[in-house]
Amino acid sequence: MRAILLIARREYLSYVATWGFWLSLLAVPIFATIGASLPALIENSQPTRYFAIIDETGLGLDQVIEERRDASRREQIREQLSMMSRLTGDDAARRAALDAFDSNPDTGEAISDALEAAGVPGLEDSLNLEGRDAVMVAAPGASLDDLRPYISGDQLLDTPEGERQLFAAFVLRASDTHPVEILYLSENVNYSDLRREIDRILTGYVRDQALIEQGLSPQEVDRLLSLEPKVTSLNASADAGEDAEITMADRAPFIVAIMFGFILWLAVFSVANMLLTSLIEEKGGKIIEVLLSTARFHEILIGKLAGVAGVSLTLFGIWGFVGSVLSAIGGAALATVNPEIAGLIGAIFDPVLLLAALVFFVFGYLMYGAIFLAMGSLCDTLQDAQTLMGPVIWTLMLPMLFLFFSIEASDSNFVRIASWVPLWTPFVMMARLPTEPPLWELLGAGGLMVLTTVLVLWIAAAVFRQGALRQADADTVRRIFKLGRKKS
Amino acid sequence: MTEYALEVEGLTKSFGGKPAVRNVSFKAARGEITGFLGPNGAGKTTTLRMSLGVIAPDSGRAELFGQAPDAAGMDRVGFLPEERGVYRKMTAEAVIIFFARLKGVPAGEARKRARAYLERFGLGDAARKKIKELSKGMAQKVQIISAIIHEPEFIILDEPFSGLDPVNQSLLEHMIREQAEAGRTVLFSTHVMEHAERLCNRIILMARGQKVFDGTVDEALAQVPRQVFLAAPPGEPMQETLCQFGELAEQSRSDDGTEIQWRLTLNPGTDAQAVLRACVDASLKLTHFEPRRPHLHDAFVALVGEEGARELEASAEDA
Repeated sequence: MRAILLIARREYLSYVATWGFWLSLLAVPIFATIGASLPALIENSQPTRYFAIIDETGLGLDQVIEERRDASRREQIREQLSMMSRLTGDDAARRAALDAFDSNPDTGEAISDALEAAGVPGLEDSLNLEGRDAVMVAAPGASLDDLRPYISGDQLLDTPEGERQLFAAFVLRASDTHPVEILYLSENVNYSDLRREIDRILTGYVRDQALIEQGLSPQEVDRLLSLEPKVTSLNASADAGEDAEITMADRAPFIVAIMFGFILWLAVFSVANMLLTSLIEEKGGKIIEVLLSTARFHEILIGKLAGVAGVSLTLFGIWGFVGSVLSAIGGAALATVNPEIAGLIGAIFDPVLLLAALVFFVFGYLMYGAIFLAMGSLCDTLQDAQTLMGPVIWTLMLPMLFLFFSIEASDSNFVRIASWVPLWTPFVMMARLPTEPPLWELLGAGGLMVLTTVLVLWIAAAVFRQGALRQADADTVRRIFKLGRKKS
Repeated sequence: MTEYALEVEGLTKSFGGKPAVRNVSFKAARGEITGFLGPNGAGKTTTLRMSLGVIAPDSGRAELFGQAPDAAGMDRVGFLPEERGVYRKMTAEAVIIFFARLKGVPAGEARKRARAYLERFGLGDAARKKIKELSKGMAQKVQIISAIIHEPEFIILDEPFSGLDPVNQSLLEHMIREQAEAGRTVLFSTHVMEHAERLCNRIILMARGQKVFDGTVDEALAQVPRQVFLAAPPGEPMQETLCQFGELAEQSRSDDGTEIQWRLTLNPGTDAQAVLRACVDASLKLTHFEPRRPHLHDAFVALVGEEGARELEASAEDA
């Protein structure tokens, strides 16, 4: 026991007392934040795109487009003002903000006044308005050919930002077969948001006009086009009540369980890799035999597994603690602004899921950690290890596919069978937990996983024993497989 | 209490059907320095590993302090394996403390001893340096200290001199003598016969997985016929005078032809003094008379033949 504790302690400190550990500690939340805010960052960092419309139909469609874009922009601002004013929790403030905006919705002052009334002054830049990066300008020519030099950048437009290239041009023409024909010209073939926006506006307009020509009033057209069935997803759970709807709180455990499955996979994979590289380093540094003169094989094996497990539990512990503190501080505010995300975060702290994640992590880690340690004992270099790692990596990759499946169909038979494969049980059963699988399945798959863990540890110890003293190596494994192929 | 720190009986081990150790038996008496000699591949390391229970023998048994090797027995042993290294990113002091604690030395005491040993081995200034910052010789000293820091009753050193420069080899020899004088049992393996000759009370010679000799250094040397090297002008009655003492062979002649060098291999029990007396009595005009003391290397050659000697020389070159 003394040797196990000392080896585990040394292993633990050899990671925790390094810059790499602290960088990993910071890297995950930093990269998670970057990943989450990446779409907004990309959206906000886009340049203003100037576009022009040549309306050859004589129907004033360019004006229609401008009006409908303005109306859409106003609606988006109203919605976001309404959401922001909820932060203060004061309904009067919300009404004051909307009134301030509605008084003159097309001016910047009105937005500033509205934000001030909402109790969140100075947040003009945080308003996320779809399409605000595309600005319509008067066409600098009467035909598509006139606009081509502006599109290619040979000629520039005068804009409030200075001289700029014309991003795109639309030519609207009458058509015999369609209500209107749209020609779109731009050098950028990837950005399609603007084209879709104009298409959507004109589609709406021509349909409105067609209905009005049928004798309907604009109000009736609006009413007809807004007709849609009301869908209510009822919660089937017995204790939810007859009319209870499915909310984010009901979906949250499923999402969180799958998320935990992915995190477990990532944690087990990276931690097992740490074991592999550490053992290869020790073998290369000829430390293993020195250790064997003071400790037995199983003590080294268990000590190393425990030490590295401690490292990952420390990482999870710190992230968990920081996450708990942040959600305790910001949870109430988030619940006001976005109750769905708040519900999702709340589900992460479900003790049953957390306990299950811990148990599955322990067994997953023991199985894969022992396999990676056994492989490490057979190899002198990482190149040696790579030749042996292939089958193990594939075995580890498959549950990732099943986790993707389980996002949409956690009750699929594939997912169900996969959860019974002991090497996959920790990840796939984790994702299945909120579907409340039968107890016999939980006990059966869990028992199989425990038995397999014991078996893997036993085999790994035997391989480790041979490999650590160089009585077997990667070539031995290759020879065994070649022999097997010859026989078959 | 048994009088032997280690007793092995009939140890045999094969790897992949290839025998590595065949029926090896020996004893390491308490308080003695025992040398475990032989070329690389002779089975020394495998025998030591089996002796400590690191690997299991195919047959035979090993007893440490009269019992099968176990954790308690291992705590009384200091083992420096042939394949050795230390954690390169740890400091010299931390490495020694780690191994001391593995052997059951309390943390405070381990720290105190680590500092004392580092000072004694001239590494006081290197205590806080990482192993990767130390020279190879300094790192090896740290390894040796780590093997003896818990002040074991029985010290087993597998090829302890390999990789050390002459100064540090001499330091290590001094340390081994010191440990023996302190009443500890020392068993070390080497393929360099000179170390064993200078240090050992007893030697075990191994060749091709088998024990070929087990006894004192003097007993080993007695296996080798003594030789006398002589030189005299041509025409002296060398054969007539000396053939009664052993086998006389002409070795070489000087360039100017005025001197012949001879080698006389003495019959068992013959004294070099008797040869000298016979030469004087016969009025031989000797220009050179040198009774040569045999070395363990000669004993090894005598015991295992020329092929074994070549393996030993190859081992020395590898080292």
